[in-house]
Amino acid sequence: MTGRKRFNYKTKEGLQGYIFILPWIIGFIVFTAGPLLFSFAASFTNYNITSQMDFIGLKNYEKLFADDQLFWTSLYNTLYYVAFSVPITTVGAILLSALLNRDIPGMRFFRTIYYLPAVLSGVGVYLLWMQLLEPGTGLVNTVLAWFGIAGPNWLFDPAWAKPALIFMKLWSVGGGMLLYLASMQGISKSLYEAAEIDGANAWQQFIRITIPMITPVIFFDIVTSLIGGFQIFQEAYVMSNGEGGPVNSLLFYNLYMWKKAFEAFDMGYAMAMSWILFIIVFVLTIINLKLAPRWVHYEGGGK
Amino acid sequence: MRHLRWLSILFITVLVLSGCNGFTKGDSAAKDKGTAESDGKVVLDFWTFWGSEIRRPIVEKIVEDFNNSQDKIEVKHTFVPWGDIWTKELASIAAGSPPDVVINDINATALRGEKKQAENLSKYLEKDDISENFYEELWNATLYEGDSYGIPFNTDTRVLFYNKDAFREAGLDPEQPPKTWDELWEFAEKLDAKNGEKYERIGFYPLFGAGTDVWMLNADKVNFIDEKDEVKVNTPEKLDALKWLKSWHDKYGANTINSWQSQMESQQGNPFFSGDLGMLVQQPTFYTQIRDYAPDLNFGVALLPEKEPGNGNTSWGGGFVAEIPYGAKNPDESWEFIKYLTDQEAQEYWAVKNFDNVANKKAAESAADSEEFNDAAKTVYGLAVEAMPQTMLTPTPIVAPDFPTLINPEFDNVYLGKKTPEQALEDAEAKVQKLVDQNK
Repeated sequence: MTGRKRFNYKTKEGLQGYIFILPWIIGFIVFTAGPLLFSFAASFTNYNITSQMDFIGLKNYEKLFADDQLFWTSLYNTLYYVAFSVPITTVGAILLSALLNRDIPGMRFFRTIYYLPAVLSGVGVYLLWMQLLEPGTGLVNTVLAWFGIAGPNWLFDPAWAKPALIFMKLWSVGGGMLLYLASMQGISKSLYEAAEIDGANAWQQFIRITIPMITPVIFFDIVTSLIGGFQIFQEAYVMSNGEGGPVNSLLFYNLYMWKKAFEAFDMGYAMAMSWILFIIVFVLTIINLKLAPRWVHYEGGGK
Repeated sequence: MRHLRWLSILFITVLVLSGCNGFTKGDSAAKDKGTAESDGKVVLDFWTFWGSEIRRPIVEKIVEDFNNSQDKIEVKHTFVPWGDIWTKELASIAAGSPPDVVINDINATALRGEKKQAENLSKYLEKDDISENFYEELWNATLYEGDSYGIPFNTDTRVLFYNKDAFREAGLDPEQPPKTWDELWEFAEKLDAKNGEKYERIGFYPLFGAGTDVWMLNADKVNFIDEKDEVKVNTPEKLDALKWLKSWHDKYGANTINSWQSQMESQQGNPFFSGDLGMLVQQPTFYTQIRDYAPDLNFGVALLPEKEPGNGNTSWGGGFVAEIPYGAKNPDESWEFIKYLTDQEAQEYWAVKNFDNVANKKAAESAADSEEFNDAAKTVYGLAVEAMPQTMLTPTPIVAPDFPTLINPEFDNVYLGKKTPEQALEDAEAKVQKLVDQNK
């Protein structure tokens, strides 16, 4: 080692890099990886937060699959929600952004209007929707009545409670819309001009140019909203007063998990539940990633 | 090897930073949280969810009075929102630095005792036994294996409010509220007013303001899981209650019920205020809504009607306890404060200012005669005090804390017409029994 030059350039740069990302690494280890590993370990115990944590092997998992009376109900509710809400909101966001991707005077106004609901979030919105969805006096059924349709009992009817939530989610497609809009704006005009010269109509242009060019964003949107969909909790917790709705129709996986953790204080069991959910989401995401090369088109040919 | 030094600096930085994130508890936490301030007082952190314009000043006045009444303890009130308070408390217990006194749900007190979330108060009660001050049912709910884990603070019950003018209009004696389930039905028929197929006034619907479980409790006075951990869901009386409730549901139909229910939720628009609902089961505190939104309403109150003569006017209530979270640093001082909080003076102040039922019997009785109440308030409060000895709680059974998730859907199925009451209760009983067996 000679005097001044302590490190060669590469080591120095590497170290600096680590120092720069240190806050994230610490955050990840302390707030994400640590709790993650802890919950994995505790899922094999009867942990109840305060007084016990004895190793009980696979019992929590056995009970979940074989004996639990609501595990399958809650999983079904969640799958139902994901299976409908993800495609509907994705298609909704694409159609909306296609409409808003026009050069018409005042378009900014409409973009703002449609994006606004995505800015609002949380409990306030759910309470608002509970009023909108009131069977007798709510705005939704009032409007339906103008067209002679007797609206359903929405949140009070087990057959309509989940559709009501999905319907509510459609209101906030603005977030996805923004991504699609940005990506549509990035599509080269020359592609459309060439297509027009070849005699393609608007629909053909949309299907053959717009959609393929935005597939990376569609892919991103599907992956993230799938993960988000499995985590649905707040909506059901607020809109059913934490009860799970009529005939447990809003008892989603995470709501049931929450009840096990904070009502029955069976934290080990709840942690086992969270790992099952993790595996389900993980597998689905892997499948998504494997399928992606077949339909996702990246400009420039690179992956 | 200079770069070793670099690495060690890095390592130390990591340690220091992670230290901030709570790896060190115990000592440092105790120093911030409580114990000696400069003037030698012990500082207690008191958590409640009472942050409303009405309740916050009242609880803070009680705290202030306590602080002025002695010179050893200084209580600081912390408002934590309803949705967060108990999960935050739980996390702080697990972290070893809980608050000193917390207001918590009375029904799950024994469960918290069993899980070591709350301190056992027996050693304090041996010295000064204050158990006689409270309603027996409330006191019993705080016991786990004979030891108390929280002291009852406030409570509630369910009583029948009725519209005297509507009674007169329907040809009923406004001083004779219904006494039995049959009379409820009979009076409601008279109070009903229809315009064609559409109801303009409905006499009574038992599930506005009370759940299926309340009427089942009223009928057989036994909880779904009794104190011996035996499942008592499918009993003849509970079946009668469910059939009776179903007949009400059939009488008015889902559409009428939903439309009344949604108006009920919008406070000012409550159909009871406008006379569109003849009778309503509510907590006594409902009086404050009448006072604020319908001051001219001519109403009466009565005990919850009984299933048949002699069965008893059993009602249902809940409430809150003041307790010391497990691992709190100054339990002796916390106990002093809890004693003050649940003693007659503070309780009476709370009762009168909030128009709320309190757990301390003497405080409740003297509040009923308070000079601050007008005649209507006195009548309602007096009736609430009368109802208390017949009011049952539904303590969370340790063998099946989350059983309501299993039985409520069965009741829903009955009202939706998907199951007969017999079938629903049979299924509910089997499910609860299975949960109990699993947890035993």
